[in-house]
Amino acid sequence: MKIMGVGGGSREHALAEAIARSGHEPKIFWASESRNPGIYEIVKQTGGEYALAKTTDPMRIASLAEGWKVDMVVIGPEEPNFHGVVDEVEHRGIPCIGARRSLSILELSKAEMRRIQWRYGISGKLLFKTYRSYLDAVKDLEEHSELLSWLQNVALKPARQAGGKGVKVVEDAQIYLHSEKSQFKQRHMRWLEDYMSGYTDIEDKILVEEKVWGPEYTLQCFVDGRTVVGMPLVQDNKHAHEYDIGPETGGMGSYTGKGFILPFMTWEEYERSLKIVRSMVEAVQRETGERYHGFIAGQMMLTEIEGPTLIEMYSRLGDPEGVNVLAMLETDLVDILEAIIDERLASLKIRFSEVATVVKAVAPKGYPDFRDLAKNHPAAVDERIVEKSGCKLYWGSAHLDDSGQITTRGSRLLELLAFGETPQEASQKIEDCLARGAVKLLDGWGLFHRSDIGGEEMLRKRAEVAERVRRLYTYRERRGILGKRIDWIPKVGKLDPVRELTKELTGGEA
Amino acid sequence: MPGLIGIYPFGLGRENWRLARFVYYGLLALQHRGQELAAIITYGNGDLHGSIKEGFVDEAFTEETLNAMPGFIGIGYVSPSPSQQPILVEAPMRIALIGDGKPKLGNGIQDSWRAFAERLADEISRTGDALSSARRLIEEVDGGYSFIALTENQELIAGRDLHGVKPLEVGSLGFDLGAIVSESSALDVLGMEHITHVNPGEVVKFDPYSIEKAKAKPEKKPNLSRCSFEYVYLARPDSTIDGIGVYEVRERIGMLLAKEKPVKADVVIGIPETAIPFSLGYSKVSGIPASLGFITTGRKVRTAIKPSLFERLMGVQLKLNPIRCVIDGRDLVLIDDSVVRGTTLRNTVWNMKRRGARRIHVRIGSPAITAPCPHGIEIPPPDELIARALDEKEIAEVVGADSFSFLSISGLCKAIGLKRNQLCLACWGCEKR
Repeated sequence: MKIMGVGGGSREHALAEAIARSGHEPKIFWASESRNPGIYEIVKQTGGEYALAKTTDPMRIASLAEGWKVDMVVIGPEEPNFHGVVDEVEHRGIPCIGARRSLSILELSKAEMRRIQWRYGISGKLLFKTYRSYLDAVKDLEEHSELLSWLQNVALKPARQAGGKGVKVVEDAQIYLHSEKSQFKQRHMRWLEDYMSGYTDIEDKILVEEKVWGPEYTLQCFVDGRTVVGMPLVQDNKHAHEYDIGPETGGMGSYTGKGFILPFMTWEEYERSLKIVRSMVEAVQRETGERYHGFIAGQMMLTEIEGPTLIEMYSRLGDPEGVNVLAMLETDLVDILEAIIDERLASLKIRFSEVATVVKAVAPKGYPDFRDLAKNHPAAVDERIVEKSGCKLYWGSAHLDDSGQITTRGSRLLELLAFGETPQEASQKIEDCLARGAVKLLDGWGLFHRSDIGGEEMLRKRAEVAERVRRLYTYRERRGILGKRIDWIPKVGKLDPVRELTKELTGGEA
Repeated sequence: MPGLIGIYPFGLGRENWRLARFVYYGLLALQHRGQELAAIITYGNGDLHGSIKEGFVDEAFTEETLNAMPGFIGIGYVSPSPSQQPILVEAPMRIALIGDGKPKLGNGIQDSWRAFAERLADEISRTGDALSSARRLIEEVDGGYSFIALTENQELIAGRDLHGVKPLEVGSLGFDLGAIVSESSALDVLGMEHITHVNPGEVVKFDPYSIEKAKAKPEKKPNLSRCSFEYVYLARPDSTIDGIGVYEVRERIGMLLAKEKPVKADVVIGIPETAIPFSLGYSKVSGIPASLGFITTGRKVRTAIKPSLFERLMGVQLKLNPIRCVIDGRDLVLIDDSVVRGTTLRNTVWNMKRRGARRIHVRIGSPAITAPCPHGIEIPPPDELIARALDEKEIAEVVGADSFSFLSISGLCKAIGLKRNQLCLACWGCEKR
């Protein structure tokens, strides 16, 4: 059996490893833009081949698959999905695990994802507005800030998935800091417009959503067009630095509790979250008339206003969250992938081990916002230390050149995974591993990671916030006002922004 | 007991922030920690900019000053006494440093902070490693202190002494700002998230690309020695210090006072503002209703730390106007936070009796202050401390009360929820082992 993978990050290294563990003993082939040292090793061991290729080029990827005569292709990252790589591979008669272009709209356009959710009345929604230019946004926000009070406290996002970049949260609740914060908002929207001008595949540029607070979690699923199967919940940590401070990243580390749901979640919340993701899959399949074969994930938050709430969606596994679940997966991944292709997931029993996992990303200084600084540093890992510390290594944004030297490519260099009875125990293993100097840049440039991920204090804090949010949303639910937002504006009267937005999106019927 | 704040931006567009106004409002929230001097230092356009003024924060800085101050990194300082701080070191590198407490270097508080800042600047410019330099300094320099330094390399370094005497808390705003402050309430006022505290002996460094922490590893394991005076008197009740809510401690103090020194009375009154939570706790346990006994005039002035006697008396008269209908013809439990010289209390008791109070039983929400603070809190010299000279009965006579008692030391520890050997109790006359 021959399996080909696409993409060169830590998530893809974990995918390659999980495929290599299979009893089918597949030969593994791979295509990515840099030569991932870990994947390269696996490819060599299984007797496959590795090609450097533009992963967003459908023709190139499909031709490689054809040339290698692979039995299936597995897509790791989102951009190949957005560019129709899955469509082209399938067009040539090769089964592919990944979202087709039209289905990947759930991730490609954060604005369209939200519209679908509202149109289909799927719970866990947020109020939102979209703009095609910075000037539209500024003008509209000025005109409406009186009428829509939620516009005071917002998340400003690029309307398209943009590598986990560009999100700012502005809570403008202190009137005395209003001028600083509104200037900041405007500057950021202008920046978003500039940034989005590099993408021509969607018309919306800026997405403004109501700000919510609560603990975040990721629910990743297998989908075969009929069935959506949920995996263990993972918590990713987006802030670049310790203490949850600093810019948004693709994720600096993630953990699972021992067992299926996170320590701060309930089973009922898990079921509700799964229902949301399932409904979104059904909705996008209905919208497009296509069937979804692959991975999907809801990046979610427990919020006071809606309970389990959808923040964004991935048309793939999360990175780093995918590394956690693939490490926990006991069922043969290739069996699962085949079941996805044959649309018989419902009859497959998928098992995950009962163990806590922690993944931490290690990045060169400069990541995420000053990537030029983070690029082109020679890197080295002492794998004996990694092994001795009880950790596993997944190479990320790194390139292995022909001379055998590894250099950084500007994003997260690698991820370390450890198991434990508790996340704290797993986290400590990774800390020990890094403290012993397992990872180094040979030119002396600095690396950073977050020591707090999976630690005692973080878990206590998340549980505290979750409890506070749960008290609020369950109370709202008992009173029958879950999801309701009501405003009262002088001289205008009572306003129901949910009703208004529903009317606008469904063309009249509220 | 100065108040410290440092605010730092991360990520793309970080230079676009203007943080002077953030620092200003943070300082307003820390105003109770010092009212003689206020300073804002910012980093922007490749240089440090400073404005250091005498007096209250809202008088010291006008709109124009704030608008004219460039800078996307900011630190701020309020001091209860005229001060040489912020310390500006010019060579071998430029750093600005603000500190609370007293590092054991040099002679007086001011020299020691200058020496501390100079050593930090020397170390950093010698090694190029701000984090390790600060960590080593904390390992070497004993004393009770916390500090925030801003360097010409856009580094913000904060640290706490080995014993955790002085508080230091961490906060954030969105994906953009990180902050280090003396008290968490300053974060609340800025709309920031309160995250946690800096640990004793810990150094935190913010630079444009990372946040790094280091823990001092001294040869001898240090004793924890958190300042108990913070919980009793210094900090705002809406602050959390080292994970302990100040309001909770104060309410528990009132409850313990009621158990330790019960008395019959008609109403419990706390002297604004610090003693109000004590009075509510006392009322809960004793069953005696609590009432507001005073309305204050003018801005909040902390009378125990005002320098001159005249100012103190003025402060009291302006501060406390008894509400006649609450006290007229009644027996009172009157609770205050601390007694230094007894002047304030004597005036208050006299004032209340004149307005019709019958018996006044004074209870103090802290033990007797009998010794100077080894960590720089300005307590009057020993010969001016009434509790050193007189016992409780004698103090009652002097202040004109029908009974008088302090909280016990063990009661104080119990209220804070820490063991005796985890607290600094020096001002209450308790020697460290």
